[in-house]
Formats: sequence, structure tokens, C-alpha cells
Amino acid sequence: MTHAKVIGHGVQRVDARGKVTGQTKFAGDMQLPGMHYGKIVFSPHPRARVLEIDCRAAAAMPGVRKVITARDLPGSNRYGYDVAHRPVLVPAGEETRYIGDAVAMIVAASAEIASRAAAAVVVQYELLEPLSSPRQAMAPGAYQVHAAAPGNRCCQREFVHGDVKLGFEAAEVVVEQTYFTPRQEQAFLETEAGMAYQDDAGVLHVISCLQDPYGVAEDIHIALAIPKSRIHVKGTPVGGGFGGKLNTTIQVHLAAMTCLAKVPVMLVLDREESFAFHAKRHPTEIRLKLGAGRDGIIHALEGEVLADAGPYSGRTPEVIGLTMSALIGPYRIPHVLTSSIGIYTNNLDSGAFRGFGAPQAAIARECLLDKLARTLAMDPLELRRKNFLRPGDKPASPMLGDSPVSLDLLTERIIEKLGPLPSAPKDSSKRIGRSICFDMPVFDVGAIPMLGKSGVGAAVEVYSDGGVTVYAGGTELGQGVTTVLAQMAAEEFGLPMERIRVEMSDNWTCPRAGRTSASRLTYGLGNAVLLATGRLRKTILARAAQMLEISAEDLVLEGAEIRPKGVPAKALSFAAVARTCSDRGDNLREEGWFRSAEDRYMYGHTFMAAAADVAVDVATGEIEILKLVNVLDMGKVLNPVMAYGQLYGGAIQALGYGLMENMVTVDSQAKTPSFAEYMIPSALDVPLEFVAEGVEMPYPTGPFGAKGIGEAALNCTTPTLLNAIADALGVEVNAVPIGQEHILAAIRKRELN
Amino acid sequence: MTSLILRVNGNDHALELEPHRSLLAVLREELGLTGTKEGCNAGDCGACTVLLDGAPVNACLILAVQAAGQEITTIEGVAEEGQLHPLQEAFIEYGAVQCGYCTPGMVLSSIALLRETPRPSRTEIQDALAGNLCRCTGYVQIVEAIQSVAEGRK
Repeated sequence: MTHAKVIGHGVQRVDARGKVTGQTKFAGDMQLPGMHYGKIVFSPHPRARVLEIDCRAAAAMPGVRKVITARDLPGSNRYGYDVAHRPVLVPAGEETRYIGDAVAMIVAASAEIASRAAAAVVVQYELLEPLSSPRQAMAPGAYQVHAAAPGNRCCQREFVHGDVKLGFEAAEVVVEQTYFTPRQEQAFLETEAGMAYQDDAGVLHVISCLQDPYGVAEDIHIALAIPKSRIHVKGTPVGGGFGGKLNTTIQVHLAAMTCLAKVPVMLVLDREESFAFHAKRHPTEIRLKLGAGRDGIIHALEGEVLADAGPYSGRTPEVIGLTMSALIGPYRIPHVLTSSIGIYTNNLDSGAFRGFGAPQAAIARECLLDKLARTLAMDPLELRRKNFLRPGDKPASPMLGDSPVSLDLLTERIIEKLGPLPSAPKDSSKRIGRSICFDMPVFDVGAIPMLGKSGVGAAVEVYSDGGVTVYAGGTELGQGVTTVLAQMAAEEFGLPMERIRVEMSDNWTCPRAGRTSASRLTYGLGNAVLLATGRLRKTILARAAQMLEISAEDLVLEGAEIRPKGVPAKALSFAAVARTCSDRGDNLREEGWFRSAEDRYMYGHTFMAAAADVAVDVATGEIEILKLVNVLDMGKVLNPVMAYGQLYGGAIQALGYGLMENMVTVDSQAKTPSFAEYMIPSALDVPLEFVAEGVEMPYPTGPFGAKGIGEAALNCTTPTLLNAIADALGVEVNAVPIGQEHILAAIRKRELN
Repeated sequence: MTSLILRVNGNDHALELEPHRSLLAVLREELGLTGTKEGCNAGDCGACTVLLDGAPVNACLILAVQAAGQEITTIEGVAEEGQLHPLQEAFIEYGAVQCGYCTPGMVLSSIALLRETPRPSRTEIQDALAGNLCRCTGYVQIVEAIQSVAEGRK
């Protein structure tokens, strides 16, 4: 292969121009002639029996085209990832399970009329007592949220490695702590939105912001009994996903609206509806215990994860399974016993959010390691280094793969970037604290626990004018996948980026690519694209060889040409060869189907280090982040500008998770339903000094050696900040988020909880 | 219904509007200018930022009828005849754009900042952007992009 042309360079995003000029159409920006507007009537009560739904006043309003209740729906009225037990609309006689359950829908000539009509739907409810915590839901006699789930148990798993009894017996020091992590909201700037219509053949088209067009099509099929070949789902450029748009959001409701009202329909959730509706980060209670020798070598780890699954299963088993596995982290621990349990409640729904269960585990693990260090009177970094996985080690969990261990390199880089500890100004009430934490982020390489192995497909077509289209079923969330895939095709064909078009997120035009989640697209979809480009390169080189009467081995693709090595003057343009291929009937459209090897583990993984210096003012409780450093082993940095954007963005989300964000519910009602109450970091919260670096330890099976990186920054940064604050104040951490008021209370009480 | 003229990006539009409609709704629904986004409809997120006589405002909090007689600038009015504004070019170069949903508001707030304060400090940049939430970028590259223009590197 020739030297890198665009891979490894910060080439311009292919979608940047449209976004900076406001030309890019997001889901809520679209228009069709005759388009109507939908509005969902959500239940105001987390748990209530629907007695009667009176739509007469709503239906009589001028401009209202259709009012829909459960009895109008064709099909099963049930859908859902993992377990299809979500109702589209709760029928009379059944109970709601959370405030995001819908009881009716309106289709009207304007958004305003639809809103007024929704407010005019009169629903009689019998109010019932909701289950507002996992412990309440586990108590004997608690009602069952789902008939098929006794004890409100959504999932339960256990992992055993070695024998923790032996491990703790051998330990000279044991530390234990219970950690409480909050519900974090994805807070994407674009709320759930979509447009749907039926074409003249009665085929359904759904155009919406989503993270899995295939999953959405499946849910529409199950819920509304529409044949699969008549469901077209097209994902629009997403205005932020982070997992909150991974499960089907409003698309089934939207499909029902258009099919029943027989007009194109636009549906957009307002911010309060969005905050109530989609699944968020699982709140957890994690009890963790470590046993170590006085020399700092860890012998045993025992952990229990209790998670609030919310009203529906969704991604809970996978997420909580990962929390359980991630408790071990990048450390060699001979004896492990971990378990996880997800419990249904009537609280807000829980599901996928960047990190997918690992951020909760990282908090418990890294904070308890610091507690162990303090107990041993040992430097926290030294404690970790003694227990790092070493090159050649296999991580304890059988879920994990075979990445080279880069912890020593990360340690070296992070110490260098961190520099000396700053000192507090003289006579000030500020205390300085520092922490260095580590993580082993995972990414999907092609097999999913519970679902078995999956393949990832892509297609590439070369046109007779030498242009190229890549068909890739993943979704652009802002993470830059469109650009990365264009870079790969440009690199393989030796073409400029402008010649490559990438068509994404379409269940009809793009081969099955699976979901956009688990940091999986660069690796899986990238490899699928490379398989396709590989076949096309062969075809093109064979044709060029014939045209030039040279062996194909002596040709290279670069500079939009096919060049004989050493005789560049005899080059043919890529376009000319493509033209000839087309004229001679060569196949210029190839698919690539990537599957991880039979004996591959289920996740790829990598290594991450994060460090923070903070100043905490003991007089006011204010926290100032003086310096934040993130170093991630990326395998291969495909596009440094975009890759560092992932680190910065993930780290600031982690800052929010640790210091300010908490989607509070009381009696299962949302108490923070707006940006005024649910605070996310603003530009004011960026650390004074913020350094991100990607190191490269090539991943043998990754495209160009690359790994998945989208989620990594979030996991590690939260405990780093918490531990730095704890270091500054000399107190323990066991609950999150930590704000000014907690700092002040802790100073009085000597404990942060 | 009220008759009025809204001057948007240098063009006059004669409209008949109910007085309760927000400038955001009118820009998007009556004028088809969908570059200005709705993020919260409550003035908390800044996705709907437009310039009114050069000053950044949340269009969701302005009644359309209030904006009559003022120069309204939306993201569509920033590039001139296909030529990107230096801030737009910097946003692209520095990776300040990820999902793009906050970008129109960010660009307009940045334009207003640099007109008022051509050489802002980092703190002044952060203050000017405090009302524009971004969930993707972590703000770092946005600040770098603005600094590059302020320091004349663009």
C-alpha cells in the first residue's frame, strides 16, 4: 500500500459546510406539500389505569384531521428492543408505566392546532401508587410492572473469576464502599423529530433522526403489522444522539399517524416531552469491595450493581452487563465476583448513553482505588501501576479481546502532559487536588452478548465518470463517521475527498450495518467498506493492467490516477479506467460483509488515562478545574481534528455527569424538565487548560489499525474529577454529582455524600 | 392578525401574523429559514440565536411583531454570495462543528462578539458563548476557532 494520503490528516468534514451555513436539513426542517403536524398526548401520571379517553372535543376542532387511540391501531400495538413490551398507545383498561407513555395522538393542519387539540383530549385516570426506586420495586408485595417479570426483575447476571473467598482471605487490607450514580440525560440539542408519508404505492417512508434505521423498521413492522418490504426508514443528520436516539423513539407513533391520517405528518417533541420520553443513563447503586496486600497488590474484587431499569427493558441487560464487567477495569485481579441486577420501576426510562454502563463502574472502581491507596498510605498512581494489566495479559472478563496493552505508554504521556502540581495562592481558601485515573473502554467488533454474532455490510459503487458513492448504514450523529468513511475510500482509490459521496443511514440503499452505538462504526463499517473497495481495486487494476499491458502488481492508485510504478508518465486517469470498466461490463458495485472471526471475543477494547488538577475553595465550595488531560490509545488516529473533538466532547459530558447533572424524579415525576433546571456544561465550564492526546498502538484487525473511540473519554474523566476534589479536601466520595452545596456540607461533615 | 414587514438578511417580507407568534416560529414556518433551530423554546439553550440590529437574541423569546423595523440576521445571511465568513471557515478548520445543531447560534453569537470586541480574551469568548449550549464539542475547538479569527490568523 502507498503512503497515507488522507488517513491520519485533519481533513475537512464532508458535512461541515452545510452545517455552518444552516443549509443542512435536520428532521424538523423538512416540508412536503399537504404536510400535517402530529402531537402525542402523554400520560401526566407515571402509574395510572386509563379508564376512558374522550376525544370528541379534540376531533371537533377545526383543522384536526385525525385523533388516534389504541383501538385505531393495526398490529400488535407492542414494540421494543430486546422485549417487545412497549405499547404504542396505552389502551383503556391498561396501566401507564411512566410519564412518557402515550394514550392518544393528534394529526392536525398546524403544530399549534395539534397542541390545542391534544390539550382538549379528556382522559379519565385511576391514579395508582408508582414504584419510585429499585428497592421499593424489589420489596415483597410490590406490584409487577410487567406480568412476565416477577419481582420486577428485568435482568440479572453474575461473573465469577477465581475464588473471592480465597482472595479476601489472603488480603491484608479490605476497603468497601457503596456508590450512588445519578440519572444523566443525553440533552442533545435536537429533540426527537421526524416526517413520514406514504407514497402512491402505499409504501411507508419515515425520515427521522435516529441511530438504527434497521431497528426502527423492525419496530414499525412489529407494532403496526406493515410488511418489511414496504417500510423505508431514512436517518437524517442527527443533532446529537449519545444513545438517547438508539432505541426507536417517535418513529412508530409517526408511522401510525401518517398511515391512519393518510397525509404526510411532521412530529417534533418539545424539550419537556423529550426529557420525559427517551431512555437515559441508568441510576445505579454499586457496592464495591477490594482486598489487597499491604504491598498494594490486589487479590480480590467483589461488586454488586443495582440499576433502575425504568419501565421497559430496552438496552438494560446489555448496559448493566457492561457495568458489571467494567468494574474490573485495566487491572489484573485474580479473584472476581461481580453481579448486576436491573429492576423495573415507574421512573423515567433507562437505556443507552455514551459509555453504556461503563461510566458508573469507572466511578466506583477508580474512587475505591483511591480509597485503598489512602488506606495503604500509598501514592494512588503507584497503587494502580502495581496492578496494571501487563503486555500479554488477557483481561479477566471473557468478553474482551486482544488489544495490545498500552498502559505504560499512557502513564508516561499523562505524567508529561500534567507537569508539576500547581500550588494554591498564599493565604487563600483554595485547596489543590490531583488525580490520575485509568480505564479500559470497550467497543463492539462484531458480536453482541445476548444477540450472538452480527455482520456489518457496506457497498461501494464506482461510476463511469470516476466518482464514487459509499453506501453505509450507520448514522452521522456528529461523531464524523461520514467523513472517516470518505477518507477510507479516498485513501484506497487514491482519489481526492471531493470525488467521494457517502450515503448513510437508509435501510433500503445501505446493506445491513446494524446500530450506531458501542463505538462500532469506524471498526465494523470501516472494515466492510475496505472489503468492498478491495474488490473494486482489483477490478480497476485488472482493467488498467490490460489497458497498459503491464502486470497489475506494478500499478498504484494515487493522485486520481493509476500509475505504473516508476513510470508515472504512462499513468491513466482513474476516470478513464472507470469509463472503460463500465463500457466493458465490469461490475463496478461491490458489497463488503465484515464478520469478526469465529473465536473472537465480543468486544474490542483500548486503554485510557485521565488526569485533573482542581482548586476547591473551602470558603465558597466552588470548584475550579485548573487542568484536565485525556490520553487515549486510538490504535490509529484517522482524523486528529475530529478525534480530539470526541475527547473534548466526551470529557465535558463527563464533567457534567460528575459535577452538575441529575435528572431528578420524585414519586416518579420529572422535577428537572428543562435546561433551566437540568444544568449541562456551558462554555464557562471548560477547564482552564485542557489537553487531549491520541496515542497509537495499532490494532491488528482495525481498519488502518484504528479502534473505536467515541465513548472512551466519558468513562474515565468523571472519577478523575471526583478523586481530585476528594484529594483537595481530604474527604471520601460516594455520590454524584458533586456541586458547591455538597462541598460545603462535606467540609462540615468530612464526607461527600 | 397584524400586518407588518420583517427585514431579514437584507430582504423585506410583508406578512400577516397573529401577534403571539415568536420570531423563531415565523422565520422557520413563514419564511422557510430553517437554519435557526428550536432547542428548548424557553430561552435556555441559544440554538435559536439571531441578530437583531447586530445584537444576539433568542428568537424564541421575541415576538415576531416586536422585530418589525429592525435588521434581522439569521445564519442564512452570514455567507455573502457563497463566500463563507471567516468565522464559518474557522469553525470548519478547527473542528468546531460536530452535529451542527448549535452551530448557527454559535456562529451568530461569535459574529456579534467580534464586532463588539475584536480581540477578546478567552474569558470574554466564554462569556459571549455562555448562552449557547453545545453537547457535542466540549466548546474547546469553538473557542479556538474564534481565537484564530480574532488573532487575524484567518
